Amino acid sequence: MAQLEDIERGAGQKGRSRFAIEMRHVKKSYGPSGEHEVYSDLHFQLLHGTFVAAVGPIGCGKTTMVNLFAGLESPSDGSILVEGVDITKMKEEARTAFRTKTIGLVPQTQTLIPELTVYENVELPLRFAGVDKEAREERVGLVLDRIGIAGEMGRKIRTLSVGERQMVSVARALVNDPPILLLDEPTEALDPLMSDVLLGLLRGDNMTRGKTIFVTTHDRRVIESARRTLRVKKKIP
Amino acid sequence: MSGLSFRSDGVVAKSLKMTRATSVLVAALTAGISVNAMVAMQFVGGVAQAVLAGIVFGTLVISTSAVAADVFARSEQSIANLRSIGATLKSMTGAILGAVILWGVAGAILGTGAGSAIGTVSGGSSATAVSVLVEGSVVILLSVAAMSAGVYLGARRSWRS
Repeated sequence: MAQLEDIERGAGQKGRSRFAIEMRHVKKSYGPSGEHEVYSDLHFQLLHGTFVAAVGPIGCGKTTMVNLFAGLESPSDGSILVEGVDITKMKEEARTAFRTKTIGLVPQTQTLIPELTVYENVELPLRFAGVDKEAREERVGLVLDRIGIAGEMGRKIRTLSVGERQMVSVARALVNDPPILLLDEPTEALDPLMSDVLLGLLRGDNMTRGKTIFVTTHDRRVIESARRTLRVKKKIP
Repeated sequence: MSGLSFRSDGVVAKSLKMTRATSVLVAALTAGISVNAMVAMQFVGGVAQAVLAGIVFGTLVISTSAVAADVFARSEQSIANLRSIGATLKSMTGAILGAVILWGVAGAILGTGAGSAIGTVSGGSSATAVSVLVEGSVVILLSVAAMSAGVYLGARRSWRS
């Protein structure tokens, strides 16, 4: 059972849950009869404004954790609360709408649309959220500028390097200005310079904007940038 | 059909790998069905016309449903990616419909016009100016309704599977 609380920041905001994310006795298993169990009883909380790096061996369930937080997968048992809302009880459409405004997700695998340009890819979450054209242009421009890829906005995704694509993914996760950021191995494909840019951005968002950041990683620089480390152990059958 | 939206979104349609060929296919379908229906309607009356209208509607629902299902099948990975960033069944249906509806309506108008001309020239018994206008309008409206229903049904079936 993992317990993780950030007691330095984030507590006491009026009108919302104390916790950005809560996992309550979560069980997750795969296979037709649930024979491959990833978690048997996972229980922990992340306070608002924390920056956590989850580390652990390959196959220990870090990506599953990110997918569960984002509501892309459902637990086999138990509940997951994001900003005080039990996402396991939500219908899919409601969960999608909730995720769009609450969570910025940078998955481990590339999920950009290769047929679209950088601008169009970053703009997509705003389109789905029903943001008008003028506001979309402004927000996409701002976020691309912050990431340092504003000059590439007209390029097709397929013409970018793997590292540049990763930065576009980060821009897409930030464009809705969500209070929670989930990043799955975000520096894996980045060179040291790009990693520094990304980590500086994450630290800034955490410190000055109070964003809750949860990142899975094997990268020591990411661990050093985070304020807490969550060690996930692989379950031995 | 609460999930139906006519809002066209070219960027989302492009994400679904919808090409001009998909739109042209729908236009050809509606044109082919409308021309036949319009000719036939001018040679029959009453109940037979209602049956014809039903056939037009049903055929277009089935064919556009298949087109939507095919778009979903070809873009499975893109759809999974789009869902993770906020895409809903409504937005996906709207994007597909937006990409095909104009071409579909153009096909229906073309087919109805051609069918009216052929029926009139061939001496269809009910071929008065008013009846042709009414029958043509019915065929076009039915085509729009059928395309909307077909896209929605095809998308919904693929979305859940």
